Amino acid sequence: MPVPGPRGGTRRLLLGVVLLLAAGCATYTARMAEPGELYYEADYVEAGEKLDGLVEDASNEDIELLRLERGKVRLAAGEFDSAIIDLREAERRFDEIEGTVSMGEALTTALVSEGSKEYQPDPHEKILVNTYLMLAYYLDGDLEGARVERNRTIGRLKVWADPGVPGERRPLDVPLARYLAALMYENEGLADDARIEYDAVRSLHPEAAPDTPNTYLTEIAVLAELGRSPVKVSREIRGYFAKHHGGFAGFFTLPGDGGDVIFPLPAGGIFDSSELGTVFTFAFPQQVPQPRLAARCCAVIDGVEAGPAVTLDDIEGASMEAFRRELPTILLKSAMRTYLQVIAQNKLHGDAGTIAGIVAKVFSAVERADTRSWQTLPAEVAVFRMEIAPGPHEVLVRYYDESGRRVASSPPTIVEVPEGRKAIAWFPGPR
Amino acid sequence: MKNLVALIAIALLLAGCAPKETREIDLATDTAEDADFSSADLFRITDGMVASIEANGFYRQYAATHGGEKPVMLLARALENKTDEHIDTRLVLEKIRTTMIKENMAVFVDDKAFDEALDQLNLQATDLYDNSKAARIGRFVGAKYILRGAISNLRKQEGRETINYMNVTLNIVEVETLLITWTDEVEYKRASTKGQYRR
Repeated sequence: MPVPGPRGGTRRLLLGVVLLLAAGCATYTARMAEPGELYYEADYVEAGEKLDGLVEDASNEDIELLRLERGKVRLAAGEFDSAIIDLREAERRFDEIEGTVSMGEALTTALVSEGSKEYQPDPHEKILVNTYLMLAYYLDGDLEGARVERNRTIGRLKVWADPGVPGERRPLDVPLARYLAALMYENEGLADDARIEYDAVRSLHPEAAPDTPNTYLTEIAVLAELGRSPVKVSREIRGYFAKHHGGFAGFFTLPGDGGDVIFPLPAGGIFDSSELGTVFTFAFPQQVPQPRLAARCCAVIDGVEAGPAVTLDDIEGASMEAFRRELPTILLKSAMRTYLQVIAQNKLHGDAGTIAGIVAKVFSAVERADTRSWQTLPAEVAVFRMEIAPGPHEVLVRYYDESGRRVASSPPTIVEVPEGRKAIAWFPGPR
Repeated sequence: MKNLVALIAIALLLAGCAPKETREIDLATDTAEDADFSSADLFRITDGMVASIEANGFYRQYAATHGGEKPVMLLARALENKTDEHIDTRLVLEKIRTTMIKENMAVFVDDKAFDEALDQLNLQATDLYDNSKAARIGRFVGAKYILRGAISNLRKQEGRETINYMNVTLNIVEVETLLITWTDEVEYKRASTKGQYRR
């Protein structure tokens, strides 16, 4: 006996659910567009206020990532204590969930969307949480707190980026973290520890690391961020089911240079050969490098252009590499989810008539690619370092485009350089 | 399809909230929650250190050679924290100080009260106060010994397991000579594994 379709009231209710789901489904990249723009325009106060609103309204899945964004904005604004609170809170939760599984999340991600699980940072992002904490404590004048974060950073590097561990991890290394740690080791008189970190930096960016560490020179290191790390956008991909090598498979083509992908389906069981030829779509995250305003930068110390900063960390490269490695898993999960959704829709279509259309809308409304990533990270960090007389110095950074035209300049800041120590000046940069 | 609906219902239930629960924990039988520094470690360290100072008995020797006086001591600003954890290391020192005072082992100078005491002395030296009853300037007592030390750790993390070795070394240093009058260490190594499933 056919099951009757939903009555008017039920239909309206279901459509309401559809609308509510759709309303709550703006991608992370879309939600971060405004605060992101404000941040790269150096309007940290306004960016922070926008993020306050996002954090307040955030779901459990996104709140820690938004805290990372806000922590970075507050660091740029010089609100070090607030930055520390946000970054530490996010780090605590990331540690808590690392390596664990939530059954509820496993089911919802299998059926609905990858974005319905709590955000877990990429390895280089995990290292950068502690790196920025180290910087925040240092800039706040809490050297003991900075030392603790240095030790935590080194621990993360061992787990996630050391070349000795299985798998090629050098592309995921974070030279910024190593350089900052080395500076702190030098300030503590620990030259051997500094040398280990500088050697690792040199293997990736030979110009960035000093030839030998020293624990006696009075120096300033200017760290300047350039550009914006790649963001993920949601792309809709179409595919179809067909016979393949005696079994069934889903065929789809990735945008860009991803090429054709064939996803084998379990023969028999829940797969019905009547689904052959069914055209399906699914949302897929595509990582897009962001255009840069500045190609290079120079440190200006006491009114004199002291020299060009050299590349210390290619965060854009690490981010692209992390995504490339994650791609097969993302694909597999997306294709499997689509497959389950197609089956469910076809079953419903047979069982409940018009309800199938509504459920299809629910799925298409919910199905958004997971575009989450730490979006206030820079594309690149450059370093300039020189020996300097002890005492206060006015430091700023000038940014230039490919043609050598000056495109931006940071506000000046006064840096106190203690005798026989290394002082750090950090500048968040333009897009 | 019924199975699918049931699975979604289970997922929603698993994502639900549990009621808040509050309970008292007996400090004497408290155990560490994970491999990180915990209140149980604080008790273990302070108990061990005070027992060691008691066994060493330097304060009895001091009393014997100083007409029964107790040694005057000062706490370092904090323990040198060489770990990868943000620990209130001053708490370790203050807890040892509390026990040593209660056990009549030493008297301590309160370095944290210096500024406030100085303000009071200056204020009481004015005509606002009855000068015959005012606290007198020039009677601060200098410390003969400083209680100081360091806390270090070595952490190894693999998957869901964390192994943490922690070492706390304390010294009592004679101010005049910089000689270490007493030293001891408390160390432990603890492994903890996170559950595979979370809510």
